[in-house]
Amino acid sequence: MSSSFHFLDDVATADLAFDASGDSLQEVFQAATCAVMEALADPITVGSSWRQTIERTDEDPAELLFDWLSDLVYWKDAAGVVFNRSELTLRRQENDGWALTGVLYGEPVSGVGQTLRDDVKGVTKHLYRLRQAQGRWTVRVVLDV
Amino acid sequence: MRLHTEMRVNRITDEVWEIPITEKSGMLVPARIYATPTILQSMDVGVFEQVTNVACLPGIARYALCMPDGHWGYGFPIGGVAAFDVRSGVISPGGVGYDVNCGMRLIRTDLTLEDVQPTLERLMTELFRRVPAGVGAAGFVRLNRESLDGVMTKGARWCIEEGYGWHRDLAHIEEGGCIAGADPSKVSDQAVRRGINQLGTLGSGNHYLEVQVVSNDRVFDHDTAATLGITGHDQVVIMVHCGSRGFGHQVASDYLKVFEKAMRRYGISVKDQQLACAPFASVEGQDYFSAMNCAANTAFANRQVITHQIREAFAHVFGTSAEELGMELVYDVAHNIAKVERYAEGDLLVHRKGSTRAFGPGSPDLPPDFRKIGQPVICGGSMETGSYLLVGTDRAMNETFGSTMHGSGRTMSRAQAKKSIRGEQLQQEMKRRGILVKAVSMSGLAEEAGFAYKNISEVVEAVDRAGITKKVAELRPIGNIKG
Repeated sequence: MSSSFHFLDDVATADLAFDASGDSLQEVFQAATCAVMEALADPITVGSSWRQTIERTDEDPAELLFDWLSDLVYWKDAAGVVFNRSELTLRRQENDGWALTGVLYGEPVSGVGQTLRDDVKGVTKHLYRLRQAQGRWTVRVVLDV
Repeated sequence: MRLHTEMRVNRITDEVWEIPITEKSGMLVPARIYATPTILQSMDVGVFEQVTNVACLPGIARYALCMPDGHWGYGFPIGGVAAFDVRSGVISPGGVGYDVNCGMRLIRTDLTLEDVQPTLERLMTELFRRVPAGVGAAGFVRLNRESLDGVMTKGARWCIEEGYGWHRDLAHIEEGGCIAGADPSKVSDQAVRRGINQLGTLGSGNHYLEVQVVSNDRVFDHDTAATLGITGHDQVVIMVHCGSRGFGHQVASDYLKVFEKAMRRYGISVKDQQLACAPFASVEGQDYFSAMNCAANTAFANRQVITHQIREAFAHVFGTSAEELGMELVYDVAHNIAKVERYAEGDLLVHRKGSTRAFGPGSPDLPPDFRKIGQPVICGGSMETGSYLLVGTDRAMNETFGSTMHGSGRTMSRAQAKKSIRGEQLQQEMKRRGILVKAVSMSGLAEEAGFAYKNISEVVEAVDRAGITKKVAELRPIGNIKG
């Protein structure tokens, strides 16, 4: 099984909740990233003329994922963009922490040809939980919209 | 009565229900929920859990409250009200919400449905063009760091100085559209960069701009309505629901992180991580309060710039000035905010999250023209069902820290709503029923379908019967702009 995500019908009535999973930590990061991108706009309808590299480190992978997903929301507003894809590299550091290098690709919001969805306000820690069970990583995320 | 909780819920009246402090370890005060029996039974388990979690926070006064539009939120329930002693109590971003000073604004006109109907399509197109909405939308006001500091500290006053509105608008905005104590140095660069291009934009989710009609048979108190400039007789009014956009959300996110660490330092434990808080009197508490006030002022300014654009659109379509069209601001009121107010217990920091201030008649905080009738309260329903104008009461001052409901409250998730109807289908159905909708996102439109919300009339009846606000008029939508 590879990475996947799905939005939840019965969680967070006023907002948008999803579960993401993957066989590795990097895969669950990738799946959750795709979910946030999908929440904002249909990635297929978005170009990739805009690019941003982000580097983050944290001892706690859950905090690292939370901050990284929050980066997407930040750049959505700060650069006025929606996203097409991302490239992630997650490495274990010598001091036991985690280092993430993420590259976001997208383009400025124009509304022309882009299928826009929700203007996500923030990533919340409501029900937020990253865990590993039976060799698979999962995370539940509620986005404030 | 079957409720979505195992906790004991005692009837105080048919509209007031109390969960005693024995029902959860750590509760310092009882929790009170304002609801009819029908609404109480429909409330999700989150309301009961979260309102009792709030009742455990240090320094809470009297009761943790939830209004009838309450539902599961982050930390606090939506519809939550809690007041804390300013010396011994806490401040919590979870009690304000991510969208600081999300609020409602109502503008009246001298126009009637008969005047507007023939040009409604053109009017909605013009409003849609002038008021950017949806993901990534930028406003027409170009700000730099210095001018954004002006917005943060002066709020709607900055807009008036810049020509976006009339000076008399200020008297009809909560706090005169400018909350004191806003300090831009307490706001992160990230928040500034998120907010600098967004002044005058609606956002998405449940935010909207709506053209509405007040028919004579839906005015419940003609004298009060007249004082507010509401004449009935198919009068056209405009309602705006939005807040501080990315700026306010970043302020909330930044300080939730600060407070997670501060709680350990101050030895505060909470039942839910999203209730992260700090003593109000602490450095962290005061810093957040200053930053939150910056966001609150930015939201007042946002709605003021949108008002300017609405007036321009109407003037353009009807070929006369907004003054000639009688486009006076009825009122602008916050429903996501924390403010210091004086009650019998002394100075309290009142958190309202999805709850509206509802000061009663005679309050010195009201403009002179509204002092006899009480503070206007604007409650938005779903885009299909309509909204309400109410006024605050003395009873609200005595029972709910001068607070009431803010809207209808959702009963169905966004994901579920999207599976139930397509945006295009909803748009067509609404058009057949005389409501013209312009939307940036069709999936976003489907999420806001009327069936995803409680019946606002039932919610309004609950607060009216409880006596914490009084119905003035119902407002029926004919045009809606969504992000």
